[in-house]
Amino acid sequence: MEYRLRLAKRMLFSRRGSLIGAILAVTVGILVIHVNFVIFQGLYDAIVRDITEYSNGDILITDESNLIEKSDQILINWFERVPYVTAAAPRLSSTGSINITTANYQVQEKRIPLLGVDPLRDIQASTAHATVAEGSYVYARNSIVLGSNVARDLGGVRVGDSIQMGVVDRWGQDQVQRFIVSGIARSPGGQGLDFLAVVHIDTLRDMLDREGYTGSIMVRLEDPSKAAELRDMFLASFPNDDLVAETIEESAEQQLAGFRSGIAMINMIGYFGMMSSAFAIVTIQMMLVNGKTREIGIMRSIGAKRRDILVIFLLQGILIGLIGATVGTAAGLGFTFYAKETKLTFNNSLPLEVSYNWPAIIQTALTSFGLALLASLYPSYRATRMLPIEAMRYV
Amino acid sequence: MSSVLKVSGLSRTFGRGDYQVNALMDINFSINRGEFVLIVGSSGSGKSTLLNQMGLLDRPTTGTIHIDGVNTTNMNEGRTSSFRNRKLGFIFQFSNLLTDLTVLENVMLPMQISGRRGAREYAIELLGAVGLRDYLHKRTDRISGGQAQRVAVARGLANKPSVVLADEPTGNLDSANSADVVQLMKSMSKQLNQTFVVVTHDTEDFGDVDRIIRLKDGRILSEMAPEVVS
Repeated sequence: MEYRLRLAKRMLFSRRGSLIGAILAVTVGILVIHVNFVIFQGLYDAIVRDITEYSNGDILITDESNLIEKSDQILINWFERVPYVTAAAPRLSSTGSINITTANYQVQEKRIPLLGVDPLRDIQASTAHATVAEGSYVYARNSIVLGSNVARDLGGVRVGDSIQMGVVDRWGQDQVQRFIVSGIARSPGGQGLDFLAVVHIDTLRDMLDREGYTGSIMVRLEDPSKAAELRDMFLASFPNDDLVAETIEESAEQQLAGFRSGIAMINMIGYFGMMSSAFAIVTIQMMLVNGKTREIGIMRSIGAKRRDILVIFLLQGILIGLIGATVGTAAGLGFTFYAKETKLTFNNSLPLEVSYNWPAIIQTALTSFGLALLASLYPSYRATRMLPIEAMRYV
Repeated sequence: MSSVLKVSGLSRTFGRGDYQVNALMDINFSINRGEFVLIVGSSGSGKSTLLNQMGLLDRPTTGTIHIDGVNTTNMNEGRTSSFRNRKLGFIFQFSNLLTDLTVLENVMLPMQISGRRGAREYAIELLGAVGLRDYLHKRTDRISGGQAQRVAVARGLANKPSVVLADEPTGNLDSANSADVVQLMKSMSKQLNQTFVVVTHDTEDFGDVDRIIRLKDGRILSEMAPEVVS
């Protein structure tokens, strides 16, 4: 094996152009997969992250009949007894209409989604408060935070402005209350509160005449991997309350399903890219074989068997695969590191949630290595078919 | 003297029908161990075809070739390669060294293919014998034509073959280097009792040899015994 490996190396490295071409083909194939993964899986994970952090938590508790009638305090206390629960916060959603007066200019009534939060609990269970770019989060019964899109649609509302918001209560009556804008929320990619108005949950309950009602409870865990276990425990503890408990994968299923299909398709395109790099290797290896006709003839004439020639060219395929997979994986990891450290975003969109998916990284490297080896099979076989006397004619 | 190479009723035909060419016809001769034999003939006489047959690089249309008493005609591909590796040495007109390997590695190669132990030591010994001890680690594209042909001689002798077949070994060398290479082959033949079969179109370079087989139009024209040659 030693002399065959030496010959494989020397023959390969003496054709630097072909070697670089073959390695680049493998490298680019791997890099495409890595870049696809970083961007699209990163985007997917970023959306999951934002949905988790801003609205659904690791577990989302809702009721089959729209609103939870059971005391939110009882449910939250149940969760807060679990050691790995970070926090649980109640929320209530509705739709409101807002009139605004700024500098003697009245904007037309606008209907907007409303979110009622418990400010003290919400800042523990959600990072939504951190998206308040100007002013502060909801801190009093009469304060309101507007999403940047809402504020813009209302003609450029600013912190400190007074606005009047109306809702239709459970009896169909209009209820109007005046609020002071405490903050404007803006998040990268608009996944946060950008399209909402946020008020104190008790204020909203009062306006809707829904005292004690809760729309949902978002629960954050120190260890999200225990979400399914906790969900089952919770449902077992409240079997007769028509409560629904969902992990993030379940509660965001509708939002994520289409995206998952997109990722699968993009990954497939990546693997097609890798396959085309295999074709490039076939071409380059064929060039290597054709360029080494003389050497093959000489070797056969001094007694090398077809198997020896096959091994030499297969070893070249292995070398190309090894070097290409190493360089490609290194380049891919370099890009992943860059994307992670710089919190890569595109057009000021949400920052990608970049992770090192080691099983996928190893699988990609092994696949490309395997493809390089597979791609060298035919050229190697072709080399073995050369008759020594034919090959010697090229001398 | 024992016969190391015996060619019996050998013929080689290329093509078919109107395009049939009889390159060799009814060739018979045998060569004894330690002999230095020239096969001469003009271009197209069939001497290279004969060398290819003796070198097991091509198969005859009819006839047999026995090397060391073994009929090589019906060997399969793998066995032919092994047999060629162990029993035959080659020296080509253009030396045909592997330029990706060093001088030493080229000489070691036939021994490594056969899995022989002590390849390195014997290759160094051979290279010393051909006067290239100082060139062991030179790449073969960095040495002169004469030196390359000496390496080829050493490689041809590496597996202590039964027969060394040389195809126009001086055809690409100037007269000084030609004389050196011929002298080297002859001395190796004597020192090692090594059989050499040299195909050439020019006998002058070789001076006294054991035998000369002349080919013309694919047939043996004459086969001069040692006493006739001298």
